[in-house]
Amino acid sequence: MATSHESTTSDSAVPTPKSEVPSIADEKSSNNPQGGGQQNGTDDETPLSLFLSTFKAARTQWVARQVIIMISLLFRLGVGLGPYSGFSDPPMHGDFEAQRHWMEITYHLPMKEWYWYDLQYWGLDYPPLTAYHSWVMGAIGSRIKSSWFALDTSRGCEDINLKSYMRNTVIISELLIYIPAVSMFVRWTIKNQKLSPLYHSIASAAILLQPALILIDHGHFQYNAVMLGLSLLAITNILMDKLVVGSVFFVLSLCFKQMALYYSIPIFAYLLGICIFPRLNLPRFISLALSVLVTFALVFAPIILTSAGGPKGPYDQVVQILIRIFPFARGLWEDKVANIWCTLNTFVKLKVLYSSDTLQRLSLVTTFVSVLPAFILLFLYPRKKALIWGVSASAWAFFLFSFQVHEKSVLLPLLPVTLQLAGDPGVNAQSYIYWINNVAVFSLWPLLKRDGLVLQYFVISFLANWLMASFKKLPDSLLGKVTIILSYAGIVGLHAMEFLIEPPSQYPDLWVLGNITLSFGCFAIFLLWNYVQLYRACMQSPPNDGVRT
Amino acid sequence: MALKCSLLPALRYAVVASICFKLLLYPAYRSTDFEVHRNWLAITYSKPLKEWYYEDTSEWTLDYPPFFAYFEWFLSQFAQYADPGMLVVGNLDYASTATVYFQRTSEIVSELVLVYGLQNYFSLLPDNNRQPAYAIAMSIYFSPGFLIIDNIHFQYNAMLFGILVWSLVAMKQQRMLRGAVLFAVLLCFKHIFLYLAPAYFAYLLRVYCLDLSALSRNSLMGVIRWKNSILLGLSVISVALIAFSPFIYLGQVPQIFKRLFPFSRGLCHAYWAPNVWALYSATDRVLFLVFRKVLKNPVYADDMASLTRGLVGISSFNVLPDVQPRTTFLLTTFYQLIALIPMIITPTHDKFVGALALCGFASFLFGWHVHEKAILLVIVPFSFLALKDRRYLTPFYLLTVSGYISLFPLIFTSPEAPIKYLYTFAWIFAFYNVFDGLAPVRTTHRVFLLDRIAHVFLLGFIPLLLFVALYDKFAIFSGLEFLRLMLISTYCSLGIIGSFVGFSWLYLFT
Repeated sequence: MATSHESTTSDSAVPTPKSEVPSIADEKSSNNPQGGGQQNGTDDETPLSLFLSTFKAARTQWVARQVIIMISLLFRLGVGLGPYSGFSDPPMHGDFEAQRHWMEITYHLPMKEWYWYDLQYWGLDYPPLTAYHSWVMGAIGSRIKSSWFALDTSRGCEDINLKSYMRNTVIISELLIYIPAVSMFVRWTIKNQKLSPLYHSIASAAILLQPALILIDHGHFQYNAVMLGLSLLAITNILMDKLVVGSVFFVLSLCFKQMALYYSIPIFAYLLGICIFPRLNLPRFISLALSVLVTFALVFAPIILTSAGGPKGPYDQVVQILIRIFPFARGLWEDKVANIWCTLNTFVKLKVLYSSDTLQRLSLVTTFVSVLPAFILLFLYPRKKALIWGVSASAWAFFLFSFQVHEKSVLLPLLPVTLQLAGDPGVNAQSYIYWINNVAVFSLWPLLKRDGLVLQYFVISFLANWLMASFKKLPDSLLGKVTIILSYAGIVGLHAMEFLIEPPSQYPDLWVLGNITLSFGCFAIFLLWNYVQLYRACMQSPPNDGVRT
Repeated sequence: MALKCSLLPALRYAVVASICFKLLLYPAYRSTDFEVHRNWLAITYSKPLKEWYYEDTSEWTLDYPPFFAYFEWFLSQFAQYADPGMLVVGNLDYASTATVYFQRTSEIVSELVLVYGLQNYFSLLPDNNRQPAYAIAMSIYFSPGFLIIDNIHFQYNAMLFGILVWSLVAMKQQRMLRGAVLFAVLLCFKHIFLYLAPAYFAYLLRVYCLDLSALSRNSLMGVIRWKNSILLGLSVISVALIAFSPFIYLGQVPQIFKRLFPFSRGLCHAYWAPNVWALYSATDRVLFLVFRKVLKNPVYADDMASLTRGLVGISSFNVLPDVQPRTTFLLTTFYQLIALIPMIITPTHDKFVGALALCGFASFLFGWHVHEKAILLVIVPFSFLALKDRRYLTPFYLLTVSGYISLFPLIFTSPEAPIKYLYTFAWIFAFYNVFDGLAPVRTTHRVFLLDRIAHVFLLGFIPLLLFVALYDKFAIFSGLEFLRLMLISTYCSLGIIGSFVGFSWLYLFT
């Protein structure tokens, strides 16, 4: 204790973040203290790295990590002070009311009624794990104030304390699942790539302060971080060769929100690949298959068992859950979203020209075709370095081509893309990753504006970019530079026009259409770039890079 | 006096990050102080100067000295472009979005004065010794006190403390005249800084106006530095003249003073500031309950005229003798005088800052009608001494933790509650660790036992806060609503008194 101050007092007040960190006292000391060829990505000083340099003494790095988590929580709480979706917008309100309503019905109704009760008013349309989560939150909330979740009479409740309670449940769910998942992933990456322990805080901050997730979960109001956190736990465990645990977490993620399906194909391809190459590993395959089946069975068991013998038996329950969570009847898209269908529709009236069935088949085929390369690559070359690129490629493909996509689903491809920052991918890749994050936040603008989160949108976007000094980073290739600069110009231009000019009366949605067209273009370019990265990672990594055989 | 345009990167980054967070607090809860300041904007904008200190449409009359009134007038010149509605005197409780954004923004911009002061403090020190100064400057800039009082509750303290820091830096640079003028300006902004005035007065007298070395030369006239004294007197008087001259001309000075010093208020504020009188009141309440419930003494059977029910004017006690304003004044003066003695004997800058902190302590602990917010008057000067050596850390932790937690009851709405808890906890956690690594060790004279007790005391805040948060769930306490606030203020006052004792010991005897 007495000696610890010496290492810090000798530093200047503004030490460069590049100085080597003696990691003797750190728990990561067993790793290469040379930092494995320091990260070229952090060469230029960012506000974040400067801030963290205060904590560069090995003893205080643990402090830095906790402070980063607290700061990211504070910004979430700050965004939470703003309005939420559907605030004072009767009769249906918005996602906030949907989540509250699910807490109300799961708490008050027997399980067998959950997926059947008054479906016109925010009927439950997420898988059972969300229902259980709602039940717990509803039970705790009812203890605090029963009127918040009283059956039927609580609809549209806008008590300020209810808002606080709901906001806190999002924070706590994230703190329990997403944040540990990020820490675990970053720790694994740093160990795997032999990066300096100081980089842990930088990487965590880069991921935790991702603007889109903060704005959607804590502003608009949803529990995406739970699903993303479970998926991230799955990916991390798979990377750590804990395959069974990983597949269990992935099934849990699917059972929380069906959107995790966007990730399923590459994860399946990777797991299948390492069961077959370099040689067939049947016990592994069987244990994985069993763990998936058992987890699904366990998650569905309570609903199935409690409904046995009733008028709506186990079979009806399962069918009803599937119908509810895969709403094919709701059309190709609902709201404006930056995918191919909505963008094309601006120019060709798809819904008029083709029947819903044709469009469904069309979307199924295009999604399949666009995901196929990820499947084949990861199946043939199941490399750890490639897994996350594959996951993001598949999620982008699903987002751009599949059926019934919401603008909020852009969070799914964004997560694996942002995870790449933890591995210090270099300035070139960083520039694309920050860029696509910004485009994604921009694509959420119409939604956030409707929610009244304008201030929060600008502040959080600015904060994330400023902390990482992301505007100073441009890709190596000229084409990349031009694309990024032009798209930023387009974003600024669209914001300016929306602010200054009324759209012509025959096109009231002109700015929104501009938004989704621009965003779609950027997303599509990014998908191509992502595929290049995936291909390179598959080809360059040595086979069998660390997977136990 | 040229403004340094470029901020040090570390400070600049801190400012940007903190402004980002403060922008998110725009929709947060606002206390009546928000309406107070809106009303002052309206008064200074729409009324002629001669009516400023007479206007009483709103109950929140102008009761700050003239510079603050001029400041509000200055802001109102911009406010008219944001929303003229806020400038109508009769628009009570007017809070349109533009009004909120304008006032919150004006507060954030005014904080730059604090940043400027800290930047000056920072650049005083040689490059190789900046780490402690950096830590201290950051601890002040990120203080939960400013966040809670200024950015949520709504006041302009950061700006005023910026002037104080600026003045302290000038004093440290031996620019006594500048320091004195800045402090005089500060007093004309907010008269609560009178709490610190004795230290300023004595220090300036000792090092600037007197030359005690002349005594050894047996030249009594030489003891007084005539030129300095006259210069100092003229400058301070001219500051006061600039502030008050329009009102002197109008003959309104007595009216201003009536507004500035409303002696009709009670000993304790609605929520007791954690000082000696909080302990005194708590003792009184406990004795009262004992007499009524246990001894069934008929004298005490009447209903409790609670000190904590929000009535500002109460100063009577049920069991213990009443406290007169004179008593509090004498006690305050006594402890302030004691604090001045070591400074007069060895007039160093550190002793001066210590005397400032102790003057703040004395006024806070023994003063009449003290607000809990006044704890910043102690914390800010003390911060500059916190890293002097290790022994100062324990009283510093006691003071900051107790002081900041005592501000919690200011923010009682549920959306902001997690922010106040987490922000304060993060501050304590980060700066505890940073300061711990920076304070020079001095192994002699360390009383480890006292450190242990202090740490146990600080940990006691965790169950206390949990209990207070869940207070409503305990049915036995229904009807004893005052107990909740009493618990916080008495526990915090123990911490602050402990800090006072520890710091006085270090200051007086080392």
